[in-house]
Amino acid sequence: MILLRLLSWPYLRKHVLRWTLTVAGIVLGVAVFVAMRTANQAVFGAFNRTVDRIAGKTQLQVSAGDFGFEEEMLERVQAVPEVRVAVPVIQAVVDTGLAGQGNLLILGTDMTGDRSLRDYDLESGDEAIMDDPLVFLAQPDSIMISREFAARNGLELGSKLVLRTMEGPKQFTVRGIMRAGGLAQAFGGNLAVMDIYAVQRVFGRGRRFDRIDLAVKEGVTVQQAQAALEKALGPGFQVEAPSARGRHFEAMLRSYSLTSNISSVFALVVGMFIIYNSFSIAVTQRRSEIGILRALGATRAQVRTLFLSESAIAGLIGSLLGAAAGIGMAQAIAKSLGGFMEQVFGVAQSVDGIAVEPRLLVLGIAIGIGTSMFAAWIPARNAARVDPVQALQKGKYQVLSAGENRLRLYAALASSAGSVLCLIFAGAGRLYYAGYILAILTALLLTPALALLLARLLRPILRWFRPVEGSLAADSLIGAPRRTSATVSALMLSLAMVIGFGGVTRAIYGSVVEWLDTALNPDLFVAASDDLANRSFTFPGRIADEIEKLPGVDQTQKVRSARTLFRGVPVTVVALEMSKFGRKVRRKPIEGDVDEMNRLAAEGRGIIVSDSFAGLRGIKFGETVELPTPRGTLRLPVAGIARDYSDQQGTILIDRSVFLKWWNDDTVNIIRVYVKRGTDPATVRREIFEKFGARRRMVVLTNEKVRKHILRLTEDWFAMTYNQIAVAILVAVLGIVNTLTVSITDRRRELGVLRAVGGLRRQIRHMVWMEAVTIGLLGLVLGFALGAVNLYYTLGLTERDFAGMRLSYLYPVALAGALVPVMLLVALVAAIAPGESAVRGSLVEALEYE
Amino acid sequence: MPLWFFGMIELERVSKVFDGKRKVAALEDVTLSVGAGEMVSIIGPSGSGKSTLLNLVGGLDRASSGRILLDGQDLGVLPDDELTRVRRDKIGFIFQFFNLLPTLSCLENVSLPLHLRSWPRKKTEERARELLGLVQLEHRLEHTPEELSGGERQRVAIARALSIYPPVLLADEPTGNLDTHTGAEILRLIHDLHDRLQATILIVTHDLNVAQSCPRTISLCDGRVAGDERR
Repeated sequence: MILLRLLSWPYLRKHVLRWTLTVAGIVLGVAVFVAMRTANQAVFGAFNRTVDRIAGKTQLQVSAGDFGFEEEMLERVQAVPEVRVAVPVIQAVVDTGLAGQGNLLILGTDMTGDRSLRDYDLESGDEAIMDDPLVFLAQPDSIMISREFAARNGLELGSKLVLRTMEGPKQFTVRGIMRAGGLAQAFGGNLAVMDIYAVQRVFGRGRRFDRIDLAVKEGVTVQQAQAALEKALGPGFQVEAPSARGRHFEAMLRSYSLTSNISSVFALVVGMFIIYNSFSIAVTQRRSEIGILRALGATRAQVRTLFLSESAIAGLIGSLLGAAAGIGMAQAIAKSLGGFMEQVFGVAQSVDGIAVEPRLLVLGIAIGIGTSMFAAWIPARNAARVDPVQALQKGKYQVLSAGENRLRLYAALASSAGSVLCLIFAGAGRLYYAGYILAILTALLLTPALALLLARLLRPILRWFRPVEGSLAADSLIGAPRRTSATVSALMLSLAMVIGFGGVTRAIYGSVVEWLDTALNPDLFVAASDDLANRSFTFPGRIADEIEKLPGVDQTQKVRSARTLFRGVPVTVVALEMSKFGRKVRRKPIEGDVDEMNRLAAEGRGIIVSDSFAGLRGIKFGETVELPTPRGTLRLPVAGIARDYSDQQGTILIDRSVFLKWWNDDTVNIIRVYVKRGTDPATVRREIFEKFGARRRMVVLTNEKVRKHILRLTEDWFAMTYNQIAVAILVAVLGIVNTLTVSITDRRRELGVLRAVGGLRRQIRHMVWMEAVTIGLLGLVLGFALGAVNLYYTLGLTERDFAGMRLSYLYPVALAGALVPVMLLVALVAAIAPGESAVRGSLVEALEYE
Repeated sequence: MPLWFFGMIELERVSKVFDGKRKVAALEDVTLSVGAGEMVSIIGPSGSGKSTLLNLVGGLDRASSGRILLDGQDLGVLPDDELTRVRRDKIGFIFQFFNLLPTLSCLENVSLPLHLRSWPRKKTEERARELLGLVQLEHRLEHTPEELSGGERQRVAIARALSIYPPVLLADEPTGNLDTHTGAEILRLIHDLHDRLQATILIVTHDLNVAQSCPRTISLCDGRVAGDERR
């Protein structure tokens, strides 16, 4: 402790900026970790709370994916002897149209039976409804809202509320206000209850329900009732506790969770690198201090403990600040995440605040301190190894010995051989990842030797460019490969990551564009909602036929899509008029013949699945897929595998005739409209509005708008790549500043001599700048090389575990090209301060060094 | 019987070779003995091995061959931590460039070796004050090295070297960085301390006046003992 006060504190005060940076590294890592996890938990928590509150006393729910089922199902469920009460439910999310109020979750129930499952807890004054729900039911414009929503919008009993329904904007009357708490708090309080039959009509659900909520008879266990229902209803229905919906939600967002985990780890690695850098500089600058300490009798352990204690304190301060910053960031992230999920997955969210979990905070702080100490371990070990004689003499290089180089080379050979073997036998997932890690390890082990080789190759060029400064800059790098290789390794790794992610981004973006060009080629899309992912609203199929009769319309295609469970994971089933679709869409399949695939699908003898579905679920071409439907299990072979980005978890394309037969549902979500040649789509759009706009909720989107929307979502998803480029730049700046600071400290005397014999300040600066640019160049060359390997593995990872997509290997040449001037410029900028420090030191002091 | 009869420092055929592109022999086959309480100067031209000899005796470096005994302990066979303990308990260093920590006050600089030994704070401060009094710097306790003259800095370094009253004091050009007057003053101080504390003192110097002020002078040339004169 006393050493910390005597030695560390004065150093800290003298280098506030560096310490701030060190702590900032930990703050960044811990903040991202805490923020991402808290936000994730907030979103999952909000979803689960909404499910719980709406579920009330519901013990089991019967559903058939998101497609719902016919009303008759209710009688079949009620007929099961183990069931005490069964109530149909429809949930729909509607835009309130009220400024700043977002969406309202409409819960449609049969209120006569529902009150034994859910407690509406109405405020006084609503006795009529409390006593007799028929009063509420007798008037189909009745709506019950939560106290919170009523207060926010100045609504009271008898107030009118306008909502956009399938029948156009419709006025509802507030006939009940639920007290705050319980059900009324579901969906962040933006909840309304309506009679289910009114909901069916105004939201275009026909004579269908989304699900049935039920409670079991006394003396019957939930498991017994579940088994009885599954037997009675068949495999097409899911009979699960309400909590299972949370699990499905999590499964659906698996790739998002993976992305956020990668972000957290990446942030921590960056934090670790910053700490490593700061402590490496500190050890170099305090080498004489360490030498004095050692000469005065400090043991190696005391020196090591001193630096590790410093790192632990930095870790603690950084972690506390990071945890606080993370909590601050979590609210904003959770909100945007909720919105993002609604747009991409069509799952409405209402994040009503974040809960700070003490366990997560403790974990974050522990990770911060642990990361800090781990990153400082090597510098601390080096500090303990400082030779007091050399340290007191100063000006000594640490050069890798030939023996150590040989050892590294052997280790590199062994790990590269291991990597190749893993690749050959990479049937199992873990071996693939082991191969990936070994490939990175090989690169790290070879970096000093490769950096040395490249520096030697660059020496003649640098010398030709500037005979004295160029030679000295190259010699500095050649003379101390370990000093250079730390920064070159960090640069190489971060650039390899940029190339890997950039390559995958480019490949996915290219595939999405190809999909948009081929599959999403109608001129207009008619939907019931602005948001194509929202499946709360549907049209009757006949609307498409009516649109097709309009003069400018060449063809319409009915699309009905919704999620259903496949092996416990939600995937999207898209029902299309395959014969029409095949005539307009000629997309190249990944597996299968395009004509055969379309023919089999149109005849209802096969399905087309997305590469993500095949990849993530391990489905092969030709394999028979079993799909649960309300009419039983549908079994069809995979007739083709094609690119489709309707759902990240996978898409199954089936013919509409199959859908009508097995789901008995003639509704559509989207109508694809092709206009006649020479007709302006805008004219047809106007005609559609004129004919239907007044009497029903309808959105007509142009191809361009849909295209822009999907590309924007794709770009949002890949924003991480841009963050990584920023991080690579940060790593470059810090690494180069670090290396040059150490290099200048090491060569203080050499620089002094250079100046004493007539070297101008300008020349010294040039030398430092050239050294920096050379480091940048070494990082770029090795980073691009490792990036090629990283891209290969990242594509494999994307296919195996992330999204199941089969993507082409295309090196992101444009990105690499853009990185060259950026990184060299960054290197030059990073060299400015060290360059100034090199020319400003006292010449006499520099020459005093023995 | 004089104290130096008992060998405090014994070198038996000690050589030190520095490995590099070419091997450089800094010391070759050096044998000598310094008795307890002796004050010995070591002289020789640059590169003769004076500082290397001091580093080896001080346990800062290890010999390539031969034996070095300090107070009967063979330094060559001691593991690093043991060697550190010998340094910590038996040796005090005085450097040409003082090697004080610039951010610490005089009092803190002198206290440092005691803190490393985990002395209680109060006792540490008392000893540091006492030593700074001994080198007549009691009025500079809270000054940092930057605020002191060269002579004062060297006095602080001497006080620090004496902090544990080591039996062996090693001084590498203690007056080399000082003007003549200050150098003489520091030399008087070292002699005075030697008389009072009876420590064994080895002084490496270029200065013949400093060398001749010591009762014994060992001359080194090209890494070998070229002369050993007692007065």
